[in-house]
Amino acid sequence: MTQEAVTTQPFVMNTAFWTATIIFLLAYAVIVTEKIHKTIVAIFGAGLMLVFKILEQHEAFHLEEFGVDWNVIFLLISMMVIINIMRPTGVFEYIAIKSAKWGKGEPFRILVIFAIVTAVLSAFLDNVTTVLLIVPVTILIADALEVDAMPYLISCALASNIGGTATLIGDPPNIMIASKAQLNFMDFIYHLTPVIIITMVFYIFAIKLIWGKKLKTREELKKRIMAMNENEAIKDPVMLKKSLAVLVVVLTGFVFHGVLHFQPATIALFGAGLLLLLSKTHEPHHILAEVEWPTIFFFIGLFIVIGGVVKVGLIKWMSIQVLELTQGNLFATSMVVMWFSAFASAFIDNIPYVATMNPLIIDMAKQLWPNVSGIQLLHHPDLMPIWWSLALGACLGGNGTAIGASATVIVVGMSEKLGRRISFGKFMLYGMPIMIMTIVISTFYVWLRYYVFKI
Amino acid sequence: MKAKDLMIPLQEFLKPDNTLKEAANILRTAKRDEERIGVKGLPVLDADGNMVGFVSIRDILKAVFPPYMSLMNLGDFTWDGMVEDIAKKAGNRKVSEIMAKKVISVDEDAPLMECVDHMIKNNVKRLPVIGKDGKVVGILYERDIFYAITKAMLNENSK
Repeated sequence: MTQEAVTTQPFVMNTAFWTATIIFLLAYAVIVTEKIHKTIVAIFGAGLMLVFKILEQHEAFHLEEFGVDWNVIFLLISMMVIINIMRPTGVFEYIAIKSAKWGKGEPFRILVIFAIVTAVLSAFLDNVTTVLLIVPVTILIADALEVDAMPYLISCALASNIGGTATLIGDPPNIMIASKAQLNFMDFIYHLTPVIIITMVFYIFAIKLIWGKKLKTREELKKRIMAMNENEAIKDPVMLKKSLAVLVVVLTGFVFHGVLHFQPATIALFGAGLLLLLSKTHEPHHILAEVEWPTIFFFIGLFIVIGGVVKVGLIKWMSIQVLELTQGNLFATSMVVMWFSAFASAFIDNIPYVATMNPLIIDMAKQLWPNVSGIQLLHHPDLMPIWWSLALGACLGGNGTAIGASATVIVVGMSEKLGRRISFGKFMLYGMPIMIMTIVISTFYVWLRYYVFKI
Repeated sequence: MKAKDLMIPLQEFLKPDNTLKEAANILRTAKRDEERIGVKGLPVLDADGNMVGFVSIRDILKAVFPPYMSLMNLGDFTWDGMVEDIAKKAGNRKVSEIMAKKVISVDEDAPLMECVDHMIKNNVKRLPVIGKDGKVVGILYERDIFYAITKAMLNENSK
């Protein structure tokens, strides 16, 4: 069966259309209510799409257009394996304690340094891993200085989402966009990293305004921080060297994967395999068991659910509505995509959202440029700003509320478990203004770079 | 030999609304044999005398251990006075917040091997012994089982 033989069906609202649409909407609704775990919803939804023959199993498992995006799946699994091997070496504790000491025990300096460290780590690791590693140290440092841990916790979530936006591997929406739009690592560095650096500068000014004056400590408490010896954190120096070497190989691989014609997942899978080999472990099941399988299966199920509504034409119908709204004006479309994505991602999981938007944008492009196809269509100069607007909106939008992104959900959830509860309202009080600020910056960036200077 | 033959009959216990301060004091001064030299764990009984939990000195240690410490290797980065500071605040917490709610216990007629099985598999050193009416009648200590084992060994050798 060739790809051409199974392109999107002609636009008919038949039984299949309505069946797929109902499965899709119900899945979304149940995910939003959180009554059933989202992974179970996604897998069951995928099962329904297959049982009702909306998708053939072959389409769900083997076709890029309708099925599971294995590039995303293997990139996520491989990066998780690499981090799981690195974690016990103590490198993350080392980085965090070193950062606190750079801050010389000054509470606000530490807040800023932690924000930058979190942003940089989030750009290269997934956001959930980053905040899981930063939050415990953050609370320890706040306790040592006898200051409120809340600013550090909220800032950790916000900085993680901002930093994660900067690269292809930083945040799952970017991984999904990169795979669908066939964009490489350097495309993201060239187009998104600059605006994220600008955004971080504004973010630091913003937290200076919000918390700058409130964080005070006593001189003798600063000594507690300065007495910490970060070198004690390193538990396995040999493994650490191996991990860092593999990380360098993987990051170099990402930088050149476009030139070398490798998919990002190839690079990551090779890195994970290499590090597993170097670790000389005879029990890989421990490392593999720590992969976040619920997240992985959430993606797998979701890709199939979305594949179903792509095939029946629902997504195409939605893309027509967007084009009618913006009357084919591409700048207006970029802005609608960015701002709608930001507010949508603030309240619903940005992963299903982007999984829906990716095919929607491709369908939109097919209608705008019916004579262009393949990579020329995906990388049409007028389409590129829309991809970047989607990435910026969906990633940064996660900062809006306590449920907006995985990193925020984890920080708020951990805070509660650790006895430092942050309410939904309290988070939004800081998160929503910061989100709006970052989207305003992105709006100016996209407008100036792609529509005024056209660079 | 059965659990009831070796257990120490229940004399003292904690209540769910005891504060940790009170609980620590009861643990410290509880009767062991005939002397008030303290015990390392006591059952928590509700108003009707039913066991609702168990508090050992390990649970008191856990009460001053910040939950974030268990998430990463942060033991090297703590400071002098940290335990004491948290202990001052923890003194007014209730026993019900920190007690182990799932308690491994044995019936009074349980054979000794069943008791050993529970101790080894659940890594506990004390087992509350439950009487016919479902209430705690005593505590079986690892040490007393050890004495029973020693006795059996010596009897064998003397034959």
